[in-house]
Amino acid sequence: MNEVIAFWILSAVAVLGALVAVRKRNLIHGVFALLVFFAGLSGLFLLLLAEFIAAVQVLVYIGAVGVLLLFAIMLTERVAGDDGRRMTSRGWPWGLVAAAAVFVLLLLSLWPVQQLSMPKAKDPSEFLTQISDPGYDGKFGTEENPEFGEDDRKPVEQLGRKLMNPYVVTLEVLALLLTAALIGAVTAAQGVRMPKEDDSPE
Amino acid sequence: MSLELLIDILIATVPLMLIFATLFAFTTWLERKALARIQNRIGPNKVGIPCTRIGLFGLGQPAADGIKMIFKENIVPSGADRLFHLLAPILALIPSMLVLCFLPLDFPWLNENSVKAFLLDGAVIFFFAITGLNTLAVFMAGWASRNKYSLLGGMRAVAQMVSYEIPLVLSAVIVVMMVGSLNAGEIAGVQKGGNWFVFSPWGFAAFVIFFIAALAETNRSPFDLPEAESEIIAGYFTEYSGFKFALFFLAEYIAMFAISGLTVTLFLGGGDGPGLAVLPWLSVIWFLAKIFALIAVMIWLRGTLPRLRVDQLMGFAWKFMLPLSILNIFVAGFAWHAEQLDNKFIMVITWLISLAVLYGAASGLNQLNRGKVRPREYKYAE
Repeated sequence: MNEVIAFWILSAVAVLGALVAVRKRNLIHGVFALLVFFAGLSGLFLLLLAEFIAAVQVLVYIGAVGVLLLFAIMLTERVAGDDGRRMTSRGWPWGLVAAAAVFVLLLLSLWPVQQLSMPKAKDPSEFLTQISDPGYDGKFGTEENPEFGEDDRKPVEQLGRKLMNPYVVTLEVLALLLTAALIGAVTAAQGVRMPKEDDSPE
Repeated sequence: MSLELLIDILIATVPLMLIFATLFAFTTWLERKALARIQNRIGPNKVGIPCTRIGLFGLGQPAADGIKMIFKENIVPSGADRLFHLLAPILALIPSMLVLCFLPLDFPWLNENSVKAFLLDGAVIFFFAITGLNTLAVFMAGWASRNKYSLLGGMRAVAQMVSYEIPLVLSAVIVVMMVGSLNAGEIAGVQKGGNWFVFSPWGFAAFVIFFIAALAETNRSPFDLPEAESEIIAGYFTEYSGFKFALFFLAEYIAMFAISGLTVTLFLGGGDGPGLAVLPWLSVIWFLAKIFALIAVMIWLRGTLPRLRVDQLMGFAWKFMLPLSILNIFVAGFAWHAEQLDNKFIMVITWLISLAVLYGAASGLNQLNRGKVRPREYKYAE
């Protein structure tokens, strides 16, 4: 019962935050509303007992992406944020279609989860932990170990082992991608270096 | 929610807030007294017991300050964003209070069933995630005041906090690597019996980097550029008065306690100390004593060092602390493998090599960053 109440409160906060983030004219208010949305999302992760993902959500989205957004706004001209320009454009039906398509896709991908048999765990929260595990293979409670052991109480350690053992290539590819993005950003920020005047043949 | 759970939560949280708020009041007095002694003054010495002439070394000063703060007028600039101006001090206080529960303070009134957030699998990463929110509060205050000095202070604070968070986290990674856990209770437990991380070359280097970065994270001198009074009035809380200002003040000190507490947990053995076998509750006393030792160093540094320039601040974070902490992770990785071999001789060799590597790297980076400043040449005077 508690989980249900918490779920509704957190969802309401997240949805409201998202709505305000889209509707606000004031950019800074919009960013902070977006951060409220992220915080609500992190609360939902916590409710799923995926505490590591919740912490990373706060660390990356609120701590890093939010601050980056604020930096970007500060570097643009209209710092105050209030301007009289209209927020709606004529392309909004297309946006609606795209949003609906994404929603349907997510729903379709989530559908198989509901079809699966109920887990052998003692309470539903442990079932939720297992789904939120990135190494989740669609089965609940391994064949030889249907009950949850002491190890299952340590999601972070499990995540670390999974990242190092079956998913190490994925991890490395992602790391490479991020490094490439970082170097690209530095190069883009540096701009094209002009040849010095005294270097020219004249 | 069952009543028992509610009581367990209250038992775990309320004393924490009360203890640290009281310590805050005491620390403001301590800081003013210590700074005064460094500057050859006496400091607060008048406010003692009311209606008497007893001064008690000015120990009543925090209470007097608190009463003054509550009754002062709350001034909001006319151009300010009223909502954000109100929310910023609150947003500053909540994360600093929240992270206190991730410190492994094993109070005697906590039992088996109590809510202990520091035993959470991932307590350390939660600590870093939540302290990161302080940046937003500072930015919010700077932006909402609609004052160019506030905004400058806010921007400085954000740039500084974002830069110093990297060496902070990277030096904490070493301890997490060595223990193999993010659980604050477990990290403190591993160091029981004088086996502190600060007593190893990599641990010591990480401790120094962590402490310096912690100073910058909490806007302490010599990294107090966001509130540099000689340049930008008071930085992001220029436009704050009365109780809102007091909240910022409180948040800053609580954040100091929290980050010192994490330093103690990671490097200084948590609640480890002599006499624990006889009196287990001494661990809390030891923990708080270590926090106060670190706070004393912070006050001492504030009285001693001049403020950095902005370019020096950034250069120090990115050109010195970051490479050194990354190198330190490699050193610690080798040391971890050496420890697995469980051989005294190999351990000694590892110690010597890592000491040499870290010292060489630190002095090499120092040389590289020295810049091209020559000694001043005097043309006309000899």
